Amino acid sequence: MIKPSHEPHSNLIKFTMLLAGAVLLLMMIIGLLMRAAQGDLIEIDPAIFYQLMTAHGAGMVGAASLTGAAIMWYFVSRYVFLLKEVFVVFLTLFLFGVLFILGSISLGQFGAGWTFLFPLPAISGGAWETGAAAAFIIGLILIGVGFLLMNLEVGRKVISAFDGIGGALAWPVISGKVTPDDAPPPAIVASMATIIFNTIGIVVGAAVLVSSLINLYVPAFEVDALLAKNMIYFFGHVFINATIYMAVVAVYEIIPEYTGKPWKTSRIFAIAWSAILLFVMAVYPHHLLQDTVMPAWALIMGQIVSYLSGIPLLTVTAFSLCVYLRGSNIKWDLASALLVLGVAGWSVGVVPAIIDGMISVNKIMHNTQWVPGHFHIYLLLGEVAMSFGFMAYLIKEAKSSEFQMIDKTAFGVYLAGGIGFTLMFLVSGAMSVPRRWAVHAEEWLLQDRIATAFALLVIVGALIFVVRYIIGISTYRRT
Amino acid sequence: MQHYVLALSLSLMCFVSLFFISAVMASGNKKTFSSPEEKRKKYIWAMFFIGIVVTFTSLWQYPHTISKSVHAQAINVTGAQWYWEIDKEKVLLNKPVVFNVHTSDVNHGMGVLDSDGKLIFQTQAMPGYVNRIEHVFTKPGEYKVICLEFCGVSHHDMITEFQVVEKVVAQKENKND
Ligand code: HEM
Ligand SMILES: [Cu+2]
Repeated sequence: MIKPSHEPHSNLIKFTMLLAGAVLLLMMIIGLLMRAAQGDLIEIDPAIFYQLMTAHGAGMVGAASLTGAAIMWYFVSRYVFLLKEVFVVFLTLFLFGVLFILGSISLGQFGAGWTFLFPLPAISGGAWETGAAAAFIIGLILIGVGFLLMNLEVGRKVISAFDGIGGALAWPVISGKVTPDDAPPPAIVASMATIIFNTIGIVVGAAVLVSSLINLYVPAFEVDALLAKNMIYFFGHVFINATIYMAVVAVYEIIPEYTGKPWKTSRIFAIAWSAILLFVMAVYPHHLLQDTVMPAWALIMGQIVSYLSGIPLLTVTAFSLCVYLRGSNIKWDLASALLVLGVAGWSVGVVPAIIDGMISVNKIMHNTQWVPGHFHIYLLLGEVAMSFGFMAYLIKEAKSSEFQMIDKTAFGVYLAGGIGFTLMFLVSGAMSVPRRWAVHAEEWLLQDRIATAFALLVIVGALIFVVRYIIGISTYRRT
Repeated sequence: MQHYVLALSLSLMCFVSLFFISAVMASGNKKTFSSPEEKRKKYIWAMFFIGIVVTFTSLWQYPHTISKSVHAQAINVTGAQWYWEIDKEKVLLNKPVVFNVHTSDVNHGMGVLDSDGKLIFQTQAMPGYVNRIEHVFTKPGEYKVICLEFCGVSHHDMITEFQVVEKVVAQKENKND
């Protein structure tokens, strides 16, 4: 088994997680305001609501991608030497991108959503100017360029250290030439796969973003709306999935430290990650099931691959963790509890996603609150739970290793809030409540209000995680 | 249908959660899973098997099929920021209706709600394309068209109505139009 041999870039990553933690909290508060407005508890002008929605979507996806990148960088840098400067450049580009996006929303009233559909940015019905749309698109492109650089650095180091792409994906383990004992660690396999599909996703995303940008100023430069929709959903799907696939590296690396049992790259593990690499890219047509002009084979493929994607997740990632936990005598504390929760939330959240990926169900569930229902489960209780778990791990040395009362409470409050909050979305979806509506009908207010209360619980839990983290990193520095 | 989907989803979600909960409970035990790889194989095959059955039954008839029925009524629906234009206000009960869905500006989503506010089907309105979708209405009454693809500040206000009526009345009224 290949062991970590380098010191990770701790301070840089701690700082990144601090930024991400702050953004997560802020965006949760924006989410709370949106939910309260839908429940008619507070009054928000629809134009402002959609700006908040755009900020929340972009900010949350941004924060999730930042935490994912930080986790991947931290653990990969234990195995291979990574140039710290590249991460600094990535972070800088990222923050500039955020500035552009915030400016476009707050100064320019941009509100087309984070995965806008062409040509909405250009045709706002008077709600925002061309400049605001351009600033938003430039912001996204900056973040994309940062990601490309970061992926390139991790990718090329991993490829040269682990015998090419095939070696890093552990193909020799699949063919039986190499035993799991000599295989690249799971963190490397997962990072390699993610880097490949995320790079392809970002390049496609950049192409459609640049086209939209040109179209803003040269309307004669027309983009085919259906092609643009395919590209934006390919990018959006791959990018948001990549956040989770990067974050799960924390589970592979940290959980073994808690149990003393190594987590090896088995044959089934290697097969699962190569399958994931294909599925993540082939599945995106499930976002276009309601475009009947799409060729039937593409939509049928979308339905089938969306089901197939569940197999490696449930029977390998989830199943292996459960097998691994049994009889492991794992020490429970905030970090280990949140990491296990993250995998559980992710696994549970794909169930309603896969069901919505059936054309006949999609016909009556697509673009209802069923959709934010399932993705909030695997983001809020999945990716973000893993990120908070990683943050707790980073400050472990600074505090006693017990699962303290305050941590237990925060964990319980976050979990209970998250379950209630996401369940209300699913119930609303089953009641045909559309997603992305600033104003809700009388009949829907009850779930909206219950969800608002649960969202408040989530925020209380998250606030405790972040405050504990801040205290943790500051005491750690001093000692 | 939506309630079955909800019930089925929640049951499967509970099953997955219980799997995790039991693993966490067993983390302090001495006992591990007996022959986990055998169990894993069973789960993989079970998922493949269920997948094949579900795929065939749900796609046997492609859900977006348009029948070539001579009785089909065509109705043109056009989305625009922020209203729907619909060229028939009444359609006939128990006869296929084909919706030709257009947009004159950005993407919209045509969702049709029955008189109880339940979504019965939807399709997208795409710039430069006509999405066609067929439905046979089996209940007379008022139906609503809402927008299900975000299209700007008044997205939630794009609402129009049409009626599903018995044959005779409809023909008369259509002539008067
Ligand atoms: C306290 C926690 C949260 C609250 C109260 C909240 C609330 C909301 C609300 C009300 C919506 C709009 C739903 C609708 O379409 O009707 C929404 C959308 C969304 N949320 Fe959250 N959310 C929370 C956490 C998160 C997290 C942790 C993430 C991801 C890491 C996230 C990502 C998103 C995304 C991507 C959208 C879609 C935006 C769009 O449709 O353009 N949210 N959220
Ligand atoms: Cu709309």
